[in-house]
Amino acid sequence: MQTNLLSNVTSAKSTLMTDKIDHPQLCQWLDDVATTRDKKAFTQLFQFFAPKIQRIAYGKFQNETQACEVVQETMSNVWRKAHLFDASKGAATTWVYTVMRNVTFDMLRKIKGNREDNLSDDIWPLAEQSISNEECFDDHLENSQLLSVIDTLPEAQKQIVKGFYFMEMSQEQLATHLNLPLGTIKSRLRLALAKLKVQLGDNND
Amino acid sequence: MIKHHPSFELIQSFVNGDLPASLSAGIAIHADMCPKCQQIISQLTEQVAENSFEETFLDRFIVDDMSDFDDNNMSNNDLKFTDMIDNITSSEEIAVAKTKVEKTINFREKTYQLPSALHSMKLGKTAQIGKLSRARVQLDEGEIHTTLLHISPGGGVPEHTHKGFELTVLLDGSFHDEQGEYVKGDFIMLDSSHQHHPISIQGCLCYTVANDALHFTQGINKLLNPIGAFIY
Ligand SMILES: [Zn+2]
Repeated sequence: MQTNLLSNVTSAKSTLMTDKIDHPQLCQWLDDVATTRDKKAFTQLFQFFAPKIQRIAYGKFQNETQACEVVQETMSNVWRKAHLFDASKGAATTWVYTVMRNVTFDMLRKIKGNREDNLSDDIWPLAEQSISNEECFDDHLENSQLLSVIDTLPEAQKQIVKGFYFMEMSQEQLATHLNLPLGTIKSRLRLALAKLKVQLGDNND
Repeated sequence: MIKHHPSFELIQSFVNGDLPASLSAGIAIHADMCPKCQQIISQLTEQVAENSFEETFLDRFIVDDMSDFDDNNMSNNDLKFTDMIDNITSSEEIAVAKTKVEKTINFREKTYQLPSALHSMKLGKTAQIGKLSRARVQLDEGEIHTTLLHISPGGGVPEHTHKGFELTVLLDGSFHDEQGEYVKGDFIMLDSSHQHHPISIQGCLCYTVANDALHFTQGINKLLNPIGAFIY
């Protein structure tokens, strides 16, 4: 197997993908989850990935409960991060694999030494995380649609979204600036983003 | 130019997530500075991912002791999965993309950028002996010790050897030993068969991982062996 991998490593990206996996379909489901929080699409993704993740994790942990925990953790990351997946940066399988490998790595560290430091996302950043927020929102800014949607947010959320994306303030800076606990900033930003996502998704359809 | 890279076997274990955090971070730091290894890693990851989620690949690994996943248990598993889907999709939480942050560390009044792979790791206090300063990276990996080691201009580490391995990733500056010159980004993995005596004329900052205290081998330097435990 090793020699096999070695020889293939030099070949072009596209040839690494076999016909055995329907990549465009996986991307479509991820996109449906991202734009409309589509539970059916997520169920499809779950049925495709979960049994495989369970087997791979069982191989690493030799324990059914922990294998299930890897499935739960990986798939809930897929649900929460689907909008961050960028098909132009790599296959859906690569993205899910990275999420799974990172979840497994942090869990193994936790089990072995009771260390809850979650180092994996720094060591293996997910492809999408290399885009800064500014860049990823710049595209949308071109159409003033986003601005008008932001204006429909409640004042408390609007303030934070604008500070975070347009004034490029960190969540910590915003907390100091607005004299609010960091947790409040984080949850308001999350709420606002969820709302924006739904609205933009609806409008784009 | 970077001349020293991790072996393919090491990169493979890195992609599989099988290396300890210390070595994984070492490879990630190198790959951040080395487009060549970066490319090998992304192609390998893509391929391993493809293989992992391919039905036929998995079939080869289904062995007898996996009776947990036999047909008898399958309906049970289906129920568990249905619960899991309901549970996951009931959450309205959405992840926010991480903003890039920069972290720095100071050694002898000089500021260095901390590689992003180390951002969540705890660093110990800086200690100094002569031209050497070090801060331990507190990873709690038993006999494996991870350190940020700073050598001031003109400083060096006396000739030594290891019982285990010694990895050095050069984060900044340069040094040389009997084998030659090393530059920023170089990934230098030595084992017990190597003896070396690194000297840094311009000064440098290294990320080092070793699984045993280094052992000084020459003459008067043998008296320095307690320093070995200081450095690595
Ligand atoms: Zn390299």
